[in-house]
Amino acid sequence: MTTAPATERRRFLRWATAIGGSLALLLAFVPSLRAFLSPAFRRKRSEKWIRLGAADQFDTSVPTKVDFVDTENDAWVAIRRLRNVWISTTDGEHFTVFNGRCTHLGCNYAFDKAANVFRCPCHTGYFDIKTGSVLGGPPPRPLDTLSVKVEDGILYADYQDFRLGIASKVTV
Amino acid sequence: MASLFRWLDERVNLRGAKRDLLDREVPDRLTWWHTLGSATLTVFLVQLITGVTLATYYSSSPDHAYESIQFINRQVASGMLLRGIHHWGASAMVVLIIAHVIRVFAVGAYKYPREINWLVGVGLLVVVLAFSFTGYLLPWDQKAYWATAVGTNIAGTTPLLGGALVALLRGGSELGAATLARFYAFHALWLPLLLTALMALHIILVVRQGIAARPKALEDGAPGSTADPAYPAYYRGAYAATKRGGQRFWPDVLGKDAIVSAVVVIAIFALGAALGAPLEAPADPTDTTYIPRPEWYFLPIYQLLKLVPGSFESAIAVGVPTALLLALVCLPFFDRGSTRNLLHRPLALASLVFILAGSGFLIGAAGRAPQPKSDSSAALSSVERAGRALYQSQQCGGCHRIAGEGGDIGPDLSDVGARHSAGWIHSFIELPSRFHAESRMPAYGPPTLSHQEIEELAQYLSSLEGAPGHEPHYYDSFPAPRSP
Repeated sequence: MTTAPATERRRFLRWATAIGGSLALLLAFVPSLRAFLSPAFRRKRSEKWIRLGAADQFDTSVPTKVDFVDTENDAWVAIRRLRNVWISTTDGEHFTVFNGRCTHLGCNYAFDKAANVFRCPCHTGYFDIKTGSVLGGPPPRPLDTLSVKVEDGILYADYQDFRLGIASKVTV
Repeated sequence: MASLFRWLDERVNLRGAKRDLLDREVPDRLTWWHTLGSATLTVFLVQLITGVTLATYYSSSPDHAYESIQFINRQVASGMLLRGIHHWGASAMVVLIIAHVIRVFAVGAYKYPREINWLVGVGLLVVVLAFSFTGYLLPWDQKAYWATAVGTNIAGTTPLLGGALVALLRGGSELGAATLARFYAFHALWLPLLLTALMALHIILVVRQGIAARPKALEDGAPGSTADPAYPAYYRGAYAATKRGGQRFWPDVLGKDAIVSAVVVIAIFALGAALGAPLEAPADPTDTTYIPRPEWYFLPIYQLLKLVPGSFESAIAVGVPTALLLALVCLPFFDRGSTRNLLHRPLALASLVFILAGSGFLIGAAGRAPQPKSDSSAALSSVERAGRALYQSQQCGGCHRIAGEGGDIGPDLSDVGARHSAGWIHSFIELPSRFHAESRMPAYGPPTLSHQEIEELAQYLSSLEGAPGHEPHYYDSFPAPRSP
């Protein structure tokens, strides 16, 4: 069995084992890996413009909170969540809209009328009501501002959440 | 690399493993038919890999199962391809394991000394069929629901144990949430464990006993029966003689295995990429018109049931598979002649031909039988489904025809959605005489049907657009409102 054709044949079969075996497993592995890893590479976000109300109704001295129900597609489940934003304006024309979650750990902060600041009840973070900058406490960055637009006298904000607890504003 | 190999070798004896597993001598003149078992193993690995990935995106609750499959189809990268590979891989695994069983049967490889491994193999066959049975419920579409309803009902016709068996399979008296959860648990947890364990045992036994040699080499000068006290000694000598050709497991056997495995996986991949996996409308327990058809490998039994009178049905549905299984289990203990060549075993040859020809005939007959119409309404909304249920309960089909089914007193409604808007249909059903004074159709307005029910019916009918791709083109005209 050690004739030349037999040696040739065996060399072929050795290669066949390696190539055939890896090919078979790769064909199953590659799409699986792609499907499994794809969430880590997905980087597209559609804008979500929330109607906040007539632009001329917002108080210029104190911030206004707007609650809304956000329907989110969580994979195959449609989830409705109660969200909120805070609207701050000095002139009724230029608006700053803050995401309603504290940048520290995501609690809903509130307007502290006496001190004229935003105050987060969880770990006592304080934010400026006009700029959202941190005045005290653990929050690692200012409040997250959202893109805004006024169309036909109606104020809209493009709602989105950002990663919490870190110094930079990164979309989730 | 070399030093890593040495480091490992000193500790786990890689060289010894290579000598015992890869370099072991094998019988001469092994055929390409010997690759069927390893191809089955390869497809199992493919199923394992794709299945685990599919499981990461699947929800085993009737609320969300179908939606999660749609999510896989539409949102997951390569999702449709993965479902396609898993779907066609399942069929391939059934084909390969049956072909493997036939080969082992044909060369008498279940005889001494491989009786135990034959039993393990029969166990593997049962587990593979259980995989397909539990797997096709998971998408929770019409086919899943109704084929499982029928399958579990068949188990229910078993004498004495029937009722308990159905409850056991379904996790309750009805097919529902508990059924889906237990089918998923079995499909994704128990069965893979069982299959892995049995496969490991199967392969260990193949390594310990060696690959079965060609029949002729084990027949010359053999005692007439494998039960003969002289047979083991004869077998040892004859088997050892087949190994003198100098063929080794690697690369002589493994190379061929890899070639066939690669061809099989390429074929599965191509089918999965080209055709994907089917997904019908969501499971609808209220739909009494759906005609379930099982996967092709259950078709022989399906067709057989059509041919036998009702009173024999349970005997056939439960009896035939049970009898076949028992025959397979008893085979190596019953057939102890030392002849291995199929052509010299008339009873075995006749049985094999009978079973293959019978199954082939039944599958062919099932294929020629009129196919149930494919559910063109794959994406009916819940309102439209409610409308369809009303269409049935109000017996609209007594006068109207949809896709060739129903009466011909009233107009054919197969493409009514392409001709009229839902609003027009609603008004018409409410009071037909408003549109045609001579209409023989009774008015279905309240109190016969509520406005909501009429709207459901109208929504369903407006979803019927006849041939696909037809743009609806309305010529609706409403009668002038009557002055109050």
